[in-house]
Amino acid sequence: MKFYVCIKQVPDVDAPIQIKDGNLIQDTDRMILNAYDASAVEEALVLTEEDDDSEVEVVLVGPDKAQETIRKALAMGADKATHIKTNGDENFDSGTYARILAKFFEDKEYDVISCGKQSQDTDAGLTGGMLAQHLDLPYATNAVGLELEDGNLIVKRQGDSGQEVIALPQPCLVTCSNDMNEPRIPSLKGIMQSKRKPMESVELEDLGLDESALQPKTEVTGYMEKPGREPGQKFEGEPDELAEKVAHLLDEEENVV
Amino acid sequence: MSTLLTHIAISDGKIKRSSLEVLSHLRQQAEANGHDTEAVIIDQNASQYVDQVKEYGPSTIYTIEDPIFENHRNTPLLKALGQVMDEADPHVFAFGSTESTKDILGALAARQDAAVLSDVSEFELTDEGIKARRPVMAAKILSDSVAKGDKILVSVRSGSYDLDESSADSEVVNLDFSIDESDIKATLRDIIGADSDKIDLSEAETIVAAGRGAKDDEGQELINELASVLNAGIGASRALTEAGVMDPSLQIGQTGKVVSPQLYIAVGISGAIQHVAGMANSKVIVAINKDPDAPIFDIADYGIVGDLYKVLPPFIEELKKIKS
Ligand SMILES: Cc1cc2nc3c(=O)[nH]c(=O)nc-3n(C[C@H](O)[C@H](O)[C@H](O)COP(=O)(O)OP(=O)(O)OC[C@H]3O[C@@H](n4cnc5c(N)ncnc54)[C@H](O)[C@@H]3O)c2cc1C
Repeated sequence: MKFYVCIKQVPDVDAPIQIKDGNLIQDTDRMILNAYDASAVEEALVLTEEDDDSEVEVVLVGPDKAQETIRKALAMGADKATHIKTNGDENFDSGTYARILAKFFEDKEYDVISCGKQSQDTDAGLTGGMLAQHLDLPYATNAVGLELEDGNLIVKRQGDSGQEVIALPQPCLVTCSNDMNEPRIPSLKGIMQSKRKPMESVELEDLGLDESALQPKTEVTGYMEKPGREPGQKFEGEPDELAEKVAHLLDEEENVV
Repeated sequence: MSTLLTHIAISDGKIKRSSLEVLSHLRQQAEANGHDTEAVIIDQNASQYVDQVKEYGPSTIYTIEDPIFENHRNTPLLKALGQVMDEADPHVFAFGSTESTKDILGALAARQDAAVLSDVSEFELTDEGIKARRPVMAAKILSDSVAKGDKILVSVRSGSYDLDESSADSEVVNLDFSIDESDIKATLRDIIGADSDKIDLSEAETIVAAGRGAKDDEGQELINELASVLNAGIGASRALTEAGVMDPSLQIGQTGKVVSPQLYIAVGISGAIQHVAGMANSKVIVAINKDPDAPIFDIADYGIVGDLYKVLPPFIEELKKIKS
């Protein structure tokens, strides 16, 4: 079976960030494979492990620098990759990425397309659903578990209260939560092999998208610090006394118990 | 004059409060800008909720009532949402940011060729569309965005706006709906662990959240007892949902739910940014942690440095006394 996993390179949110004149200043050396996409890669590898005819291909839209992220997915065990090249300074939004990916998939054959449920930096969580719509595929989002069952992908998705178990006939699309698994750390052998795995580069212009399809409908106009919380009080000492003190503060000062 | 439409989400037989927060805000925006406010209820018993929605003053309430909406399924919901968009032709269509909303928002935007901003914490109308504020980078910072065009979709984090009633004699429009089962390729086979008696964390006034420090049975018992004294919802960090100690639906944070209670008590939680992303908007935060340097203390209003097994028993006793 053929699995495509859409992956993205994102800044490490744990790295320090600065905002200067409304712009985000980030350490460009700390770019990583989006955690939710890593879970999607992991699950594709697990699901296709037993089947020698299966193939896991990752697709990334991004600048040259993002190739290190593609290598990471190949080192985890994906078989091949397509890199759709951008300059990296475009102001694309989720809609633009979805239209680029939809164009790429237009003439492809596949059983399952999977994506992370959101990207760690923007948390927008839109691209997967948009792509499913463009390709007219049955889909499910926020998957916390996947299974294959003759011709169907069985998705367990975290809904508002319970977990919904959904059978999607293939071809289909699913977006993955990092609650699904613990992505493997590439082995040394995996890293060595990744260098020999096929990576096809496609220039964005060569996809044949209309200029209008690249126009974003939304735009980030600036960044700012979050208003900080008032500094609180921290108590150390005898547990009994602290417990009593804080319980009374919550009652008398805050009126929240 | 354009139409500002709000989706009224129903879950476990109740209107999601976040929908009414959004409707309250949109009505204020409409009044300030001379627009029309409308609402849509899509549910197997949609008409049951009409009276409650009227209290928030939309001029028109669309209902789409069909047994297919008993449980969340994206194909029929998308069809119904498309139908109401055709009917109401909204300039802005706003949603509370529930898991069901997250499931359909991207697909609906693509289908309608609409601009979309998800999970915003604030938004307002502009001449060209809307401008909105969103937490980004695991909610470490905020970004400002604009969405332009005739059709704009927006989803709003719960707790972003206060409820504001302003009763109206809304016109009720029932839209006929039908869908062929054969058009629904996805089959809903089962729903696991749904419990309508559970306190909805996104609406809870008080939350007791447990982390790795409270992983064992004794810790869990203390958490349950504290929650029961305070009539609180129970939440968890990823450390506990991942370990299978707590139900995955209780996870609070970037992957999990975003909450905004009056009181949040974090027990044995270190305060990783991905956890804080989901709870930093709580009004009062209490942290109980034995590590005086735990980052959770940076955002806590009241921090207790200590072993939770020693702190919680007297804390629970004292709260019992206060409550009685
Ligand atoms: C993409 C991504 C998304 C994520 N999303 C989420 C999310 O939605 N929600 C979430 O919670 N995490 C999320 N995480 C994980 C997050 O980074 C942390 O790993 C997680 O929150 C840690 O949980 P914890 O605080 O319970 O455990 P730890 O970090 O291990 O902290 C345990 C704390 O308990 C204290 N402790 C231990 N014993 C005691 C005792 N006896 N008494 C008092 N204190 C004690 C310790 O001092 C420590 O501070 C995400 C991570 C990534 C990469």
